[in-house]
Amino acid sequence: MSSNKEVFSQISPSEFFYRNRDLAGFSNPTRSLYTSVREFVENALDACDQKKILPDIHLSIKAVNQEEADPKHYILTVKDNGPGIDPKHVPHAFGTVLYGSKFGLKQARGMFGLGATMAILYGQITTNKPVTVKSCWDGKTLDEFVMLLDIQKNKPIIQKHSTKEVAKTGLSVSIVLEGDYSKAGTKIRDYVSETSLITPYASITFEDPSGEKLHYPRIVKEMPPPPTIIKPHPHGIDVETIRRMIVDTHYQIPTVDDNMIDKVKKELGSQKKHLSAKDILDRAQKRWSDLSRPVRTVIAAMSFLNVDFDGLQKIRIDDIDVANKKITYWDFGQSQSNVVELDPESPYYKQLANTVQGDTLLTFLTKRFQRVGPTTAEKFCEFAKLKPEKRIGSMTNEELVKLADALQKFDDFLAPDPSCLAPLGEEPLSKGIMKFFNPEFASVIQRSASAYSGFPFIVEMGIAYGGDIPPAGMKVYRFANRIPLLYDEGSDVVLKIINEMDWSRYKVKGDPPLVIVSHICSTRIPYKTVGKENVADRPELERELKNALQYLARKLAVHMSRQGMADMAKKRANLYAKYVPLIAQFATELSGKKKEPNYKQLVRMGSEIEEQI
Amino acid sequence: MRLKNKSKTRTAEARKQRLLSLLQKHGVNIYDDLDHGKFPQFVIPSRSVNNIVYDKKIRQYVLGNASAVRSSRNMSQLRSYTQLAWLAFFVNRLVREGKSSTLRDIYYSSQAFSIDFEDQPESDNIIVDLEAVLTSPREEFHIFPEERSSVFGDLTIEYTVPGYEGRRVNLSDHPDGYLIGPSLSSAELVDTSAELVIAIEKGGLFTRFVEEKVHKKFKAIIVDTAGQAPRSTRNLLRRLNSELSLPVVILADGDVYGEHIAMVIKSGSANAAHLRELTVPDAKWLGVWATDIKKYKLPTIPMTEADIKRIYDLQKDPRYQEGNWKKQLEVFLKLKRKAELEAFSKYGLTNITDKYLPAKLEESKSF
Repeated sequence: MSSNKEVFSQISPSEFFYRNRDLAGFSNPTRSLYTSVREFVENALDACDQKKILPDIHLSIKAVNQEEADPKHYILTVKDNGPGIDPKHVPHAFGTVLYGSKFGLKQARGMFGLGATMAILYGQITTNKPVTVKSCWDGKTLDEFVMLLDIQKNKPIIQKHSTKEVAKTGLSVSIVLEGDYSKAGTKIRDYVSETSLITPYASITFEDPSGEKLHYPRIVKEMPPPPTIIKPHPHGIDVETIRRMIVDTHYQIPTVDDNMIDKVKKELGSQKKHLSAKDILDRAQKRWSDLSRPVRTVIAAMSFLNVDFDGLQKIRIDDIDVANKKITYWDFGQSQSNVVELDPESPYYKQLANTVQGDTLLTFLTKRFQRVGPTTAEKFCEFAKLKPEKRIGSMTNEELVKLADALQKFDDFLAPDPSCLAPLGEEPLSKGIMKFFNPEFASVIQRSASAYSGFPFIVEMGIAYGGDIPPAGMKVYRFANRIPLLYDEGSDVVLKIINEMDWSRYKVKGDPPLVIVSHICSTRIPYKTVGKENVADRPELERELKNALQYLARKLAVHMSRQGMADMAKKRANLYAKYVPLIAQFATELSGKKKEPNYKQLVRMGSEIEEQI
Repeated sequence: MRLKNKSKTRTAEARKQRLLSLLQKHGVNIYDDLDHGKFPQFVIPSRSVNNIVYDKKIRQYVLGNASAVRSSRNMSQLRSYTQLAWLAFFVNRLVREGKSSTLRDIYYSSQAFSIDFEDQPESDNIIVDLEAVLTSPREEFHIFPEERSSVFGDLTIEYTVPGYEGRRVNLSDHPDGYLIGPSLSSAELVDTSAELVIAIEKGGLFTRFVEEKVHKKFKAIIVDTAGQAPRSTRNLLRRLNSELSLPVVILADGDVYGEHIAMVIKSGSANAAHLRELTVPDAKWLGVWATDIKKYKLPTIPMTEADIKRIYDLQKDPRYQEGNWKKQLEVFLKLKRKAELEAFSKYGLTNITDKYLPAKLEESKSF
């Protein structure tokens, strides 16, 4: 076991991704160019979202040598007006794989640290050219880095670093990579245009290799509220996640060295004075609530060992055995191991017990999961047949499996908290659709939050009909977490729901000028494949999509019948105005009369009477 | 010379007047409706399968009592109502001016009046609607199909078409026969010495009959039906029978289609159930019968699957439920072979006129 582990840890993440670049969407020059564009644009949008800055994105793709045939080298540059990155972090953020801050639980477009660095890595592999990162963080200085990745060591190699004065924050990343724009162009243009539809608060400019500029101006000035980072929902976790959460709660006994002792002294505010063991405890008592956890633990241990700082320096704490109420320590002076009994009545006993064994199950549940209160936690413990006062650190492997299992099965947890989601909102979506398609009719809906397997999600959907939309049948625009999904349309759950609908019930027939925009927001979109282009059919998701679609279809049907009635009345009027005079003409000759009958009244009546069967 | 028809002269003129007054009556109705702010409508006997019944009394298919209203009040019917009104108006002109027209003509003529027919089938349908409304065949409207058959024999007619009014012609003057077209259809039947009408399915045999002077030998008027008899031909046969009291006999190929050609002349087709005056209920089917094939040792050819299917279809027709009609179908089905009229040529070109025809005419006296 341990030797295997060592072999793995010797491969750096960069090297791992280098070897498995197909997985990340870098299988060929066409796909790689498209994926690189996506990664940089999505990072730029995410960065702006986080800081509530209205995004202003410039994307440009330029051929290094225009004359060459595809696939060839392209310079891909994405510039944003986001917050920029602290120059200290730039080399690591762009020069190492798996560096980043996007590991919390909230909705975001991409996983920072993976895609962008992969694109940089891909560029470097195919062209051996460095990446250029320009970042302004403070609104004053622009730092420019030119650097390569050391794949084996997973470290950046900075080739050049310069600074200059600027006035705005922002980030610009530029790489040289092998790509095939002649093949990827359509998808990239679609991607940019659809991104502007689902990000109506962004202004996006795309300069393509021919020099043509596509500009998508900002349609709405207000940004949707940003998502918040939240704790996980009990349904959404597995044994491995619990284990990691427990390691977090299960505080280590702090190593008592000089640094630690200085820290304790500092927190007690007694760096200079010599304090007796009793003084220390007295001072600690007064400031207990301000003390950090490690300091509390050290002081609790000192209370049982009955030592001052000098005494503490002469020993090493080996083990705190809460179950047997014993502390074992090594006395350097005596060169022997000693054992001290722990008094369970002492107020410090609890501190030590908490530290060593972690929280009780009850506290663990209420503190580490979203929307679990003491009542629910107690009910759950009863359901799981686990003691609520059980220390989480003392649970056996079997008990952990039992716990994880029960967390999945217990039905009385509240639905996941959707505050970690960032739907676009009905108004921006509606405005985006109106501006984008200029339809005769549009309607949007945001469903309330729902959840599948502990992951919250929200479905937003819009429908647009007529106007500038060509009558070429239904066109579906799919989005997930504000990313357009362009590939693998056929197997997607949204398509499935739309196709299963009986559209004739909603007066939609033939090849209607119809557009459907579907946006699924979730902390984890249930993608079917690694390619992340098609969403799997979870029943909960299906239900929400169906409800949204039915709501919109009903709205459309109302519009259509209103429209239909108006059209019909107009058609009637035209028909009677055309045919009644003809009938009059024929009847006059047929009856042998000279003068035409007075048919005006009938023309009017004809256009007024209601349609009847 | 038989002048049997004297009392009924000018029947063609009478029919024309009846039609014109009927058209005017409809015109007045429409005019009055329009004037009084009422939506005019036509009542059209339904031609759906459910409404076609066999009338044993008059021995033809007729329409039942079901009828449909085509109203100008109903927006979806307004267009076809106007088309029908236009056709009545146009037919009125045709008949008054003594001009003739074809189905194709009608389709194009409509465009001059901004009555747009989608295609010819649509205009053809409207023509049938008008036939049903007025219970008159389109030939009376001076609308003729392209197909034409011919007639030969001692029959004097008097034209009523413009430019020929009053002019008489004898139909034995031209050995190829006379086309049964608009002018002949609208002519008065004035005089004949004939005592019999022989309707024959094929042009070749028609010529042979003229050459062999069948019209003289048998005192007959010979009519070439050119396959299934067109309605103008059936109408002529009926007039020869009813106005001149001439018996009609039919000679057709010895197969199921031949048998049905005879049946349609006798009692009409389901397609024309909305019309009268197209049948000759007393017409006799001389042959070639299935039983003749054996009797006259005719060379045969095998039936196709379609032939056999047609026999089964006809066996469901109420008119084939009894007598010789039923029997011959059964024999055909048993033989599964058929014989054409030309088959008699095996025994010499004149065999059919010299032997078969007299024999069958003799035989026909007994049925």
